[in-house]
Amino acid sequence: MARTLTKSSKSLLVEEYINRLEKGSALLDDSPQNLMEVIGVLKSYGIVLDAYSVNLNYIADTQFLKLFPLFKYFNGKVNAETIGNFIAHDRINYEYAEYCMKSMFWHGGGGVDEYLDTEEFAAETERLLKAYYKYNPLMLALHKLFPDFLPEQMRQKAYYSALGQFWRVMSDIFINLSDSYDRGEIKSIPEVVTFILDGLVADAARPITYTVKVRGEEFHIMPKSAGLTFLMDTGVPYVEAIFFRGTPFTGTVSYNAQAYEIPYDIGMFNYGALYADPLPIGGAGIPPTLLMQDMRHFLPDYLREFYQKDSVRGFGDIRVQICQSFQKSMFCVTTAAVKGLAPHALDTTDPEEKSANHLYLKGWLNRILESQLVKVNSQTESQPEMQHR
Amino acid sequence: MLSALILIPCLSAAIIGLLPLKGNNPRNIAIVTAISVLVINLILALQFDFQQSGFQFVEDIAWIEWIGLNYHLGIDGLSFPLVILNSFLTLIAIFSSSSTIQRPRLYYAMLLLLSGGAAGAFLAQDLLLFFLFYELEIVPLYFLIAIWGGAKRGYAAMKFLLYTALSGILVLASFLGLVWLTEASNFDYLPLRSHNLPLATQLLLLAPLLVGIFIKIPIFPFHTWLPDAHVQASTPISVLLAGVLLKLGTYALLRFAVGLFLEGWVYLAPWLALLAAISSLYGASCAIAQKDMKKVVAYSSVSHMGYILLAATATTRLSMTAAVFQMVSHGLISAFLFLLVGMVYKKTGSRDVDVLRGLLNPEKGLPVTGGMMILGVMASSGLPGMVGFISEFLVFRGSFPIFPIATLMCMVATGLTAVYFLLMVNKVFFGRLTEGLAQIPPVKWNEHAPAFVLLLLIVVFGLKPDWVTHWSEVQAIALLAGG
Repeated sequence: MARTLTKSSKSLLVEEYINRLEKGSALLDDSPQNLMEVIGVLKSYGIVLDAYSVNLNYIADTQFLKLFPLFKYFNGKVNAETIGNFIAHDRINYEYAEYCMKSMFWHGGGGVDEYLDTEEFAAETERLLKAYYKYNPLMLALHKLFPDFLPEQMRQKAYYSALGQFWRVMSDIFINLSDSYDRGEIKSIPEVVTFILDGLVADAARPITYTVKVRGEEFHIMPKSAGLTFLMDTGVPYVEAIFFRGTPFTGTVSYNAQAYEIPYDIGMFNYGALYADPLPIGGAGIPPTLLMQDMRHFLPDYLREFYQKDSVRGFGDIRVQICQSFQKSMFCVTTAAVKGLAPHALDTTDPEEKSANHLYLKGWLNRILESQLVKVNSQTESQPEMQHR
Repeated sequence: MLSALILIPCLSAAIIGLLPLKGNNPRNIAIVTAISVLVINLILALQFDFQQSGFQFVEDIAWIEWIGLNYHLGIDGLSFPLVILNSFLTLIAIFSSSSTIQRPRLYYAMLLLLSGGAAGAFLAQDLLLFFLFYELEIVPLYFLIAIWGGAKRGYAAMKFLLYTALSGILVLASFLGLVWLTEASNFDYLPLRSHNLPLATQLLLLAPLLVGIFIKIPIFPFHTWLPDAHVQASTPISVLLAGVLLKLGTYALLRFAVGLFLEGWVYLAPWLALLAAISSLYGASCAIAQKDMKKVVAYSSVSHMGYILLAATATTRLSMTAAVFQMVSHGLISAFLFLLVGMVYKKTGSRDVDVLRGLLNPEKGLPVTGGMMILGVMASSGLPGMVGFISEFLVFRGSFPIFPIATLMCMVATGLTAVYFLLMVNKVFFGRLTEGLAQIPPVKWNEHAPAFVLLLLIVVFGLKPDWVTHWSEVQAIALLAGG
């Protein structure tokens, strides 16, 4: 569980971290080990995200309105071999991607959430439903009886598509980051943050759209005209939902409301990826989640060697180790997001801009410092000496 | 054939002790010896007639005639389960001993001598011969605690020695008194059983015998040596101590206290039943207060040995069978629990329930050890499907019609078993793994092998209890029938 800070120590820390960010540093301490862990785990994360995004887009584009999408994880390749692999669990855990999608869906926020409540969306969805169930009077009758059910399915599919498109971009950023590191172009944590920030900014205005086809006819569930963009309408809600609010690390911490473990101000209740305790409680076996299971197959050799050397269990607790590294990498992504959304450049010398930035950063850091960040950074000093690769 | 059960481990101990170490692995020799003895036991078991109440495979050789000592061995339904338990747990103890133990020749020689001595005591049908073996096993056990024990091993070993030596003296005094008062020419068990002594004489002889036996079992208030010995002894020695050596006391209780002085025993039975209940409740209460996992298991032994005394006092056919079953059950369960506590200590370096947390953690903890510990706790608490349920059910079913109050008190102690073990398990295995324990090494499957075997037997005998009870049913009746 995240360390509880006293009010005075927290305000000092907030100022310290604001100072760090203004000077161009990152939330995560810079060290050769942190750099190696972050890059290594982001490489495997990038590969896994690629697979997730392919599947999310596949489900959004082809499995919409199917009441029993039994083969939705097969990406259209249903044969004896893929079914055999599925049964033998020789596959990617696409469920994790769905959990993330649902987390975004439930928490809402951003332009996508707003658009899915518009008349425009409702009208286009109604048109789609009529076309899709043109020869199915039973479903049309049921739709009359329960008019909210099928549109809600399409809202969810819109989130499938939005997250699929978001991860498509993020996957490329992470793989390119790893390639740059391998070429010796990335040498510090702040450079990692800058790389991710540049990637986010480059695609910030990329449109997020969702179009499906029924018998050749196109239905623009999220049209380009809605003006939904990559960063503000999917990236920010994603960070809020997954990093802060709730992540599919179910069971990470057991909260007891009667013991006042859930704050009265529900806005301060954070249980996202940045807050997750890497050591699972009891027999829950989480958060070495489906994501960690997937990532362990794609770890670069240098990170695999490091994990083997760093733990007395070798690969026995590799999922916990991946989770710890993953958390570090997410602090870098969060730093990039925080910097990218700042009202002004963080190195500004204008007093008014500086003040606005200060207020903005204070809001973020008050939340971030309740996460595992302080604990993770407190371990940097005890890291063994390591040369940059 | 019975001599082989004693001589093979003793000779093997001598060979291990005397042969040069180079080229000889004492551990391997000890394993081969233990397996050989177990195989002989199994061969004997196949030939054993369960319907016959008397001693079988008898060996009777005059040894020192002028003091009336005969080398008289025999086995019956009371001793056979314990002899097998002894040889089985010896093998388990050797397997669970560290392969890099210091002074291996002396260690394994002592271990085998201990096993041979215990087997001799279970097989002896001569009171003096029993006493010799009863004393013989004290010596190797003293060294096993004093040399390979924990930080306070000297204190614990000396305490054990003093208590059990006193126990031996009291037992010997009773035996000598019996022979003297009956004017018997030797210490043979069966002829001495046939003497009908007056009640007052029986009580006079029974009193020192009971105190001696109560020290050995141990029963409150003679128990204080046991927690110290357990805590300081290494894991394999705790396995033998709880699994076999305490059973020497309960065996002597049934064989000699009940067998030789039945009238006196029945006269004292109500008070002894009360003592059994007090001992059970006291052991359970002490276990609740302990911070050391090993002490929790040690006090649970004190508590559960009280059930055997309770069953013996009831002197019904069912209760006597239950007493034997409880001996086997406790031998398996306590050995199992000590192995698991030993594993926790080996990996974490602590047995302190205030230090250990979250060891059930699937990635970085000891999940298999924790899982088995939960099963062990269930077995010890008497949950159905395991051997503990059968033994406790038989004890309480057999004793309740005779001593309902004492039985109810013991049933409360059974309830407390769940309390102290769940407190321990909850603290040690549940919750979040503490940071200090995040780098504990994993347990290899072969390290868990002895515990797996014990767990298997705990479940098998829980599902098929007649595989144990049919050994002792006939003998239980014979014990109560007098000479």
